[in-house]
Amino acid sequence: MFPCDSVAVINPRIGRTTPVIVQGITGRAGQLHSRLMRQYGTNVVGGVSPGAKGREVNGLPVFAACKEAVAATGAQASVLLVGAMQLLEAMKDAVAAGIRYLVTPTEGMPVHDALVAQRLVREADALWIGASTPGMAIAGKLKLGFLPDDSLRPGPLGLMSKSGTLSYEAGYRLAQRGAGTSVWVGVGGDPVKGTRFADLVPFYGADQQTEALLIIGEIGGVDEEEFAAALTAHRFAKPVFALIAGKSAPEGVTMGHAGALVHGSHGTYAAKRAALEAAGVTVFSSLNEMVEGICARLR
Amino acid sequence: MYLLEHDAKEILAARGIPVPAGRLIERDETIDRLALPPGPWVVKGQIAAGGRGKAGLIRKAATLREITDHVAAVLGATVKGRTVEAVRIEQQVTGAEEAYISLLLDAAAGGVRIILSGRGGVDVEALPAGSIRSDTAVAEAGALASCAERLAAAFDGAKGKALREAGGRLARTFLEHEALLIEINPLFVYPDGQWVAGDAKLITDDNALPRQDALGRLVEARAAAYPDVARKHEHGFDYVVVDPEGEIGLLTTGAGLSMMLIDELRAAGLKPYNFLDIRTGGLRGETRRLTQVLQWIGEGRNVKVLLVNIFAGITDLGEFSRLLVSALAAVPQLKAPVVARLVGNGLPAAREVLAEAGIALYTDLDEALAALRQHLKA
Repeated sequence: MFPCDSVAVINPRIGRTTPVIVQGITGRAGQLHSRLMRQYGTNVVGGVSPGAKGREVNGLPVFAACKEAVAATGAQASVLLVGAMQLLEAMKDAVAAGIRYLVTPTEGMPVHDALVAQRLVREADALWIGASTPGMAIAGKLKLGFLPDDSLRPGPLGLMSKSGTLSYEAGYRLAQRGAGTSVWVGVGGDPVKGTRFADLVPFYGADQQTEALLIIGEIGGVDEEEFAAALTAHRFAKPVFALIAGKSAPEGVTMGHAGALVHGSHGTYAAKRAALEAAGVTVFSSLNEMVEGICARLR
Repeated sequence: MYLLEHDAKEILAARGIPVPAGRLIERDETIDRLALPPGPWVVKGQIAAGGRGKAGLIRKAATLREITDHVAAVLGATVKGRTVEAVRIEQQVTGAEEAYISLLLDAAAGGVRIILSGRGGVDVEALPAGSIRSDTAVAEAGALASCAERLAAAFDGAKGKALREAGGRLARTFLEHEALLIEINPLFVYPDGQWVAGDAKLITDDNALPRQDALGRLVEARAAAYPDVARKHEHGFDYVVVDPEGEIGLLTTGAGLSMMLIDELRAAGLKPYNFLDIRTGGLRGETRRLTQVLQWIGEGRNVKVLLVNIFAGITDLGEFSRLLVSALAAVPQLKAPVVARLVGNGLPAAREVLAEAGIALYTDLDEALAALRQHLKA
């Protein structure tokens, strides 16, 4: 049966029983998504909001800082719904309190802040997913963030994506055709991020629920090229599929995602496609081709 | 933000990086001879892309007559889809050798890569590997300065001295302006070790713009030169005209999905006008953002149809459709018919609202594209 109750991306395992807090819970997004995550099955145990100590949101206790929230609830994971300019401080608060999983949907985190955050998280041996991510999910069990329920059908396909919306569309079309997902991780569209495609290759290789892997990439950066190299280095034996957006984007123009910026020959569609195909990945040219191709292979 | 060379040099000069004396001349502007630096000169077309020399946008001039001719030839030229709206007339550097220095964000390493070479003036990738010194360092002032100094030690004499000094100053600038890339190619080095930045490529982080005052002021003062960044700075979302001749206006959300849609339209032989990540979550029940976008799309002289493509994970499509209908009514100058393809949360309500407004609604993208083609034929 798909999927499993919990997965071991790092230690501790993350799953239905993992206590989760929401930083920024008193904000508009915090109130909405703490409710929707609970509805989906996530064990949300409280929230943090510096000025709102003692308040309740959706029946959940609100603390002034992560340290108090962790002491009171035993939280191991946090979904950070705070502003871009406040994100680094909020992440420092979470890591210092011993939070091991950080999911940061915030868009627009300054790149130099992300460099600092990346070192902070690595030194603490924690896992950071984001920024600019809709989050992660074990389909049918829990979600950290706001992946749409309609796109989350339990199944054998591991999914990683830089883009939120393109992955919703892909997941939705696949789900409609009966192809569901095991563990879905939105790595996010920023150039400097907590978790890159390549980082999760060993995880997906070992994860017993995952029979095949789909990555949804974008022009810019070298994440896809790195991922291709990691597949080879880890002798990844499951089928791998890819869809890459931005084939016709002009050089030097940022299209929404800070990471999707092509300079010269770096990060081009052609370079990514070539690297992935050389590593044995099936690269699709359109959403339709992807849905048909994956459904045919999974059958 | 990919700064035009002229703006990059102004920013660098303000941080103590020597640049040749130069002056910006925009289209329709007359050249004031007295304001020019002493000659001989170089006339440099300003576009935010590499390969300007090969494209004929960089020309040497020894006389005022030559300046006038070059300015006339370069201004208005279109290279890599960009039109030259301004030139920088700069004093030519003579009696110097060329070197190379760049600092760039290395996202994979989580730091900054510094690249030095004793040769300059050509594409760094074309340089022989043996002539390059490169390493990554943590994005902190001390670490970057000592990395640059260590790399510069491989070069002797004047070039070593110039690269060491330039490395230290550019490292500070890189951090202070939250740059993603600074490339000085060529770095002109005089026999006594004095140096000057011959060209300057500076790319900064748009996300940091709210706290980068000098860059924020630049974007506001020169909004016409940076329309995409200025728009995002002012409005908080992304809109880019990808083809001024485009026939299909796009009202879309999500960077990845919007890019993919443009790819698929182009692959099908269609001509999208714009990229848009409107961020439906940021509409907050108001039509302001939609009205603004519809006005911009209305400026496309060949736009024949508006394609709305929204995948609503959280957004309520019923509310979105009501906002869309009001916004369309508020922008009567946009006469293009609307094809809407909506999927997700609140679809039944959206269907009612759009039917009442006479807008065709599809849930299947291929069916929406077929309807789009009908409108393009008409």
